[in-house]
Amino acid sequence: MAKAYEAVKVKTPLLLKVLPLASIAAFFLVWQLVIDLGVVPRTMMESPLGVIKLFWVKLHQPNPDGAIWTVHAWTSIKEAFSGYLLSLAVGIPLGLLMGWFNLAEGLARPIFEMLRPIPSIAWIPLTIYWFGIDLSGKVFIITMAGFIPCVINSYYGVKMTNPTLIQMARTYGASDWNIFLNICIPSALPMVFGALQIALATCWTTLVAAELIAADTGLGFLITIGRKLTLPGLVVLGMVSVGLTGAVIGVAIDRLEKKLLAGIRR
Amino acid sequence: MPEHQEKKVKIRVEHLTKIFDDLTVLDGICFNVYDGELLCIVGPTGCGKTTFLNTLSKLLPATRGNILIDGAEADPKKHNISFVFQESTCMPWRTVRRNVAYGMEVKNFPPEKLAARLDYILELVGLDDCADLYPNQVSASMEQRIAVARAFAVNPDLLMMDEPYGQLDVKLRYYLEDELIRLWQTLRSTVLFVTHNIEEAVYLGSRILVLSNKPTTIKKEVIVDLPRPRNVMDPKFVALRQEVTDLIQWW
Repeated sequence: MAKAYEAVKVKTPLLLKVLPLASIAAFFLVWQLVIDLGVVPRTMMESPLGVIKLFWVKLHQPNPDGAIWTVHAWTSIKEAFSGYLLSLAVGIPLGLLMGWFNLAEGLARPIFEMLRPIPSIAWIPLTIYWFGIDLSGKVFIITMAGFIPCVINSYYGVKMTNPTLIQMARTYGASDWNIFLNICIPSALPMVFGALQIALATCWTTLVAAELIAADTGLGFLITIGRKLTLPGLVVLGMVSVGLTGAVIGVAIDRLEKKLLAGIRR
Repeated sequence: MPEHQEKKVKIRVEHLTKIFDDLTVLDGICFNVYDGELLCIVGPTGCGKTTFLNTLSKLLPATRGNILIDGAEADPKKHNISFVFQESTCMPWRTVRRNVAYGMEVKNFPPEKLAARLDYILELVGLDDCADLYPNQVSASMEQRIAVARAFAVNPDLLMMDEPYGQLDVKLRYYLEDELIRLWQTLRSTVLFVTHNIEEAVYLGSRILVLSNKPTTIKKEVIVDLPRPRNVMDPKFVALRQEVTDLIQWW
């Protein structure tokens, strides 16, 4: 049986493997040409090669923003990950519990519905009063941003559990808790992994927004300094750093999902 | 001699009634199921066969009446009740082995007993070769066999099957019907098999309860006193099939 299954597994055609690489290469080539040919002046935009050169310089040169690239990146990763992990730790269990237990839904949903429409950056003024502009304040804002998609996806992941599976478990006399652990949570996992991806994007976006307003290091701060000093290379370096870091984490989550959801994912 | 004769009553259903608002679906149904019997239930489309099973299995509360297993009120937490549904109930995140084990896990089988019973059932149903595959790696008929294996694994006091082979093609259905008989004869479980397929009921059942249209009552009990394996071309088989067909004509 296993061999028969292996035999019908479809291999990814070479074209589909090459296509993403070709697309990225074409993007950077066009970008480089647009700058080199003067379509957009260098005072408004830096070329990819210029950004790479600047990246190399910023690895050991703290000027003009006061810190080398690794310090900015580490600050942002620390802030983003603290907020991200906190939002997962609070949002996912809450969403799962709200999806299955009426008591949890009754207690938490009204408050959640009030919090949901508030943009996370609206918390910035209060956060500055409460925490100042150090790590804890930014972590709070980022947590608020990641928390919402975590709750929503986990909640609907449980709500979308196949009712026949629940009935099947009930005929065996399974308790509510057993059904929650063995049926609802595994069933909600694809939506939960969706939440990990959405929350990651939201956390990074919010991090940059928070650092634009109040920070002394970080990738968002690098972008702000670049704007203030009219150094588009610095702005692009900050943007690319945010993009690449987010993409690497996104791919890692995707790999984890593939491994954990072997029976569910195609 | 009929297969159920001189056996003790395992399940006693007394005046089972189910009313939804002002619609009476089940109307005072009374019958017995004997220990180790394979009882088939047939009825016209929409007569409430699924409601009947759901009420029996306590998925739906009965409006009136009692369901007694070995003289005690049926309770899925106390009794071993299994249910095989028409649609697949395989958990896609569990391997075949862990799907079959689920019922035993809920019933808190000790680990050694669970492992031994699991190996025995997987081999009996012929799933041992694909035990480590996931449901999306096996066929639709295999998925139903997983559900059947899981249901038999808990050594059920009552196994209910709601048209389990209704969505499969004829050839597969014949194969799985024979497999069901083999499992039932080996494990001697008490099985309640609901179907709209009259030939299937005559082929499988020791007795057939024919249900009426709504409000559903038992129209007639038909004893299937035919030796196994049964031959669908046997004149006695054909005559019984015709008798049941005549009973459930709704036009």
